[in-house]
Amino acid sequence: MTQIMEDREIKLDRMRFVKNTSSSRLCYLAILLNVLYFVSIYKSDVGSWYYQILVGGSIVYNLLFMLMTFLASEGVKSYQKNYSKILLVVGVLQIARIFILPLKSHQAVVKVSGVETVVMQNPQFIRVLIYLAGSAACLLAAAMINWRKCGMLEKHMKTLETRNAREAS
Amino acid sequence: MAQLNLQHIDKIYDNNVQAVFDFNLDVKDGELIVLVGPSGCGKSTTLRMVAGLEDISRGKLLLDGKDITQTPPKDRDMAMVFQNYALYGHMTIYENMAFSLTMRKEDPNVIHKKVLAAAEILGLTSQLNKKPSQLSGGQRQRVAMGRSIVRNPKVFLFDEPLSNLDAKLRGATRREILLLHKRLGATMLYVTHDQTEALTLADRIVCMSMGHVQQVGTPLELYDTPNNIFVASFIGLPPMNLFDVTFREGKLQGKGFEVELTDAEKATLSGYNGKEIKLGVRPEDIVEGGSLKVKVFSNENLGMNTLVHGHMGDNNRISAKLRGWTKYKNGDVIQVSFQKKHFFDKDTTNAIRKGEK
Repeated sequence: MTQIMEDREIKLDRMRFVKNTSSSRLCYLAILLNVLYFVSIYKSDVGSWYYQILVGGSIVYNLLFMLMTFLASEGVKSYQKNYSKILLVVGVLQIARIFILPLKSHQAVVKVSGVETVVMQNPQFIRVLIYLAGSAACLLAAAMINWRKCGMLEKHMKTLETRNAREAS
Repeated sequence: MAQLNLQHIDKIYDNNVQAVFDFNLDVKDGELIVLVGPSGCGKSTTLRMVAGLEDISRGKLLLDGKDITQTPPKDRDMAMVFQNYALYGHMTIYENMAFSLTMRKEDPNVIHKKVLAAAEILGLTSQLNKKPSQLSGGQRQRVAMGRSIVRNPKVFLFDEPLSNLDAKLRGATRREILLLHKRLGATMLYVTHDQTEALTLADRIVCMSMGHVQQVGTPLELYDTPNNIFVASFIGLPPMNLFDVTFREGKLQGKGFEVELTDAEKATLSGYNGKEIKLGVRPEDIVEGGSLKVKVFSNENLGMNTLVHGHMGDNNRISAKLRGWTKYKNGDVIQVSFQKKHFFDKDTTNAIRKGEK
């Protein structure tokens, strides 16, 4: 029991010097899944259906998403609690995105060479769904892990401070 | 910790240049051996052969009685500290110190304990989250040492670890290494060209020149009873004064000066009557008062001592470290005597000791 307690304390103490790589790696994975998502959409060959303002907005958002997530990945690496909030928001937005471009494309039908074609067919829709949902899951998990670790580290630092103060006095 | 035996070790490079000749040394458990000598004398090559970074051309290397001559460096259980620290700039101090253990896939909790313990020993606890670029040279060298300590190796190897530091920091870090050695009780091999480092750190010194071992002994042995002219002139600062003299009628006759000898000294030189030898006198063994006249040309005040340079007899250069603060001017003539003398055979350059010829 004492050994387990000691191991737990060492694990906590390690956080003072070891970066929060689990959260930051989840952020990188979220970026990767998002890249797969937009590559999958932009390579679609369905006439001029995608040439609209919504896709323009999507491109701008993708750039912003990658920038924010990368910055957050650096923030969570050094246990900064506020970056969890950013990741949480971005994660929720990733889920919301499923209902904008992918769903609209899945329901839309266009004429390509005189043949009526569904813009986003089922296999592509499922793939896109997985990418976005996966990306969102990674971001939410990264946010939660970072939040929890930050809390633990704060508590541990306070314990250390109290212990040091007691030893000093 | 460990015993290390170097037996008849030679290093011959592919171009047939021999860097080390018949090197023999038995390093005892917990001993700090300093390899000292001028640049190119083969001391670093010897250390690299011990580390496994250079092949041993001939001879044997034993660690605790086990032959490790052909063992790869990673399996030798030795840690080396380099002159240029060899730290990873993108990693924190903690990560740098933990690196070797992480590579060996040790338990992170064990690594943590070892790194904190090493940091505590070296006074680096508050620096663990910093990058090497944020530390001073001395601190970086301590990190390099810490990286060795965490591995708990059998032998520590230091290759001129203080050469990149300024004089003040060198002194402080030297003391730290000494304390570290006492604290860990580790077997250490230390290479330097700085004789002050050698004299202050070593349990025993190996003095090398041109790939040959000139003398192995305690710092006092090398200082007090040097084996030959090379060791005599290399150990000691300023170096020993050397004069060409002839032993005749119980006296040493040099160019324009004569030195009286004690009965013991006469007995030592009994086999050299009428022959030319080398007389060695350390600057600190020269005292004011006596029959030898020195014409001063330079007076350097060092605080507690004064270094006086001059000529004795017919232009024989001499340096004397006199006690106190003197103010001799160029052209002043002072009278001195020699407290302790060293004699060397002019042909072999070896020391002449009692009962030897």
